[in-house]
Amino acid sequence: MSFLHIDDVHKHFGETHVLKGIDIEIDKGDFLVLVGPSGCGKSTLLNMIAGLDTISEGELRLDGRRINELHPSRRDIAMVFQSYALYPSMSVAGNIGFGLEMRKVPKAERRAAIQRVAELLQIENLLSRKPGQLSGGQRQRVAMGRALVRDPQLFLFDEPLSNLDAKLRVDMRTEIKQLHQRLGTTIVYVTHDQIEAMTLATRIAVMRGGELQQLGTPQAVYDDPNNLFVAGFMGSPSMNLVPARIADRDGKLVALVEAGETTLALPIVRDREALEGWCNRQVMLGLRPEAITDPTSANRDGGEIFEADLEVELVEPTGADLYVVTRLGGISVNARMRPGSPPQPGEDTRFAFDVSRMVAFDPESEARIRTAVDADAPVQAASA
Amino acid sequence: MSAATPAARRFTPARMLLYAILLFFAVLYLLPLYVMLTTSFKTLAEIQQGNMLALPREWTAAPWREAWGSACIGLECSGVKGYFFNSIQIVVPAVLISGLLGAFNGYVLTKWRFRGHKIVFGLILFSCFIPFQIILLPMARVLGILHLANSTSGLVLVHIVYGIGFTTLFFRNFYASFPDELVRAAQLDGAGFFRIFFRILLPASVPIIVVTVIWQFTNVWNDFLFGVSFASGDSAPITVALNNLVNSSTGVKAYNVNMAAAMVAAVPTLIVYILAGKYFLRGLMSGSVKG
Ligand SMILES: Nc1ncnc2c1ncn2[C@@H]1O[C@H](COP(=O)(O)OP(=O)(O)O)[C@@H](O)[C@H]1O
Ligand SMILES: [Mg+2]
Repeated sequence: MSFLHIDDVHKHFGETHVLKGIDIEIDKGDFLVLVGPSGCGKSTLLNMIAGLDTISEGELRLDGRRINELHPSRRDIAMVFQSYALYPSMSVAGNIGFGLEMRKVPKAERRAAIQRVAELLQIENLLSRKPGQLSGGQRQRVAMGRALVRDPQLFLFDEPLSNLDAKLRVDMRTEIKQLHQRLGTTIVYVTHDQIEAMTLATRIAVMRGGELQQLGTPQAVYDDPNNLFVAGFMGSPSMNLVPARIADRDGKLVALVEAGETTLALPIVRDREALEGWCNRQVMLGLRPEAITDPTSANRDGGEIFEADLEVELVEPTGADLYVVTRLGGISVNARMRPGSPPQPGEDTRFAFDVSRMVAFDPESEARIRTAVDADAPVQAASA
Repeated sequence: MSAATPAARRFTPARMLLYAILLFFAVLYLLPLYVMLTTSFKTLAEIQQGNMLALPREWTAAPWREAWGSACIGLECSGVKGYFFNSIQIVVPAVLISGLLGAFNGYVLTKWRFRGHKIVFGLILFSCFIPFQIILLPMARVLGILHLANSTSGLVLVHIVYGIGFTTLFFRNFYASFPDELVRAAQLDGAGFFRIFFRILLPASVPIIVVTVIWQFTNVWNDFLFGVSFASGDSAPITVALNNLVNSSTGVKAYNVNMAAAMVAAVPTLIVYILAGKYFLRGLMSGSVKG
């Protein structure tokens, strides 16, 4: 039985249908990240879990118990808000202890709990300050302290890092992850940042326009996307999406991709049964930049490698990697190569395609063309 | 910016002219107060022969004592002190209750929105624009029905009703910019409707409380029309008593006593401005520093 079960949940704000039937189940100790572009309904879903917004349709179960009608304070849930929402006239200690005070925890016990959380978050020296006297990172810690002190069944985070500068954001991200690993708590975390989602989550739920696009482990969502949206949204630089035609070449299924004057015939490895039905039809191929490399960096024991000489359009060194751009099917395609001796723009160089990681999408419906339609199935060929 | 720039700017001719004009108007504005104060410390003989702008040759507190304790108002000769306390009895509950109700209204209208909250706020706002004169007759009838006619409690009720529109407006606009997330956080922490108001919102409302108190206090204290209409006789506020004092003096007009009584009537509003004005500024400053 799942710990948190969001069962076909809908939300209407008057006429607008904001959430259109969300189904998510997670286990105790999971770190679920709701990720999607701004306005897709992530905060609304989180507020519904917290009890701050009503549920229009569907059911919410926590530890097997229906909580739709339960008052926010009785759900045993704590939340960290995007703006931190620290009570401005109370000290840090007052802020952290307020929830306990409302629950009539005796003063001595309360003080001990505040002290314990302050030590955990290293904010002992700030306890007597007012929120107005704290920096952004310190406020963030206090907001987390306020959630932690109650030791709830479930933690909710609504874009907690979005108000911090880039450096601090990475540090706090690491800290939240360590906290989760140390305390083993169950967390639902909202962000629009796919890197945050990948690094923190044990389960990712990708949302768009009030609909769940995919639910799975970060690796599954990354390697085995359900549709074009998920493929394009997750990963940076994003997945190359190239138009192609499926064809049968001497009994072998291939994807024909236009590359300047020539045409590449990339062998189909994944989802072969499903793609047989797409013979002589247009599809959209998806290839991660790291699945297109130079021949020496190609991962040969992972699967099948296809090599071709292609003209280099642009070279982008990042230090750790070298991104080489070429043109396939009229689209600029990013390949990740070994840094060192970069090819020159305008020249031809040899590209190695790891076709076992190649996925295909229906260009009309944008849905993935796959043989097994199980999002939670283990990833087939691709492994790191 | 260098320190020399503002100092240099202070002495340009345009600046000097500006200060001269400001000074002139400040003096003009303070002149009546000056005349009132000096006259209230002069003897009647000195007033009758003397120069209005001169300082008293012989300072005397007798006019103040008379105004406070023994001047004749109507048929009774016990000064304005009773009416002064009437005004206190009216203004304190009227300010507190209308302020608290306004704060509650603002809290509900911004943080506990209900269907039709905009219409309700619109109607409350509309009450700010109803002229005094229009409500005199209906209010007299209502007070009659409630058996509150000619009483200080009746006048308190009138001022509360008339003040709610303004106090609601002040607090609603203040709480509209108060983050909703704070209320949500407090709800998750287990605080209810009243706890959230008294523990979270109200302590953060000092600037708007000060504005409301200044506004309500001066309006209620300085009111004459409601006082003269609904609380005549012994329960009249000091503004009405002052009017009666000036009109009921027989024979020679005792200007010094009248001026002293007028000063007594004006002092509480001055004190509120001096005390609360400081907090008001402080509230504004702390607001601008935070975040
Ligand atoms: N109280 C509300 N009334 C009407 N529409 C709302 C309300 N709250 C949110 N919405 C709408 O619901 C959609 C989802 O909002 P939200 O959950 O905040 O998105 P996200 O957190 O993913 O950026 C948005 O289009 C927003 O305009
Ligand atoms: Mg949001």
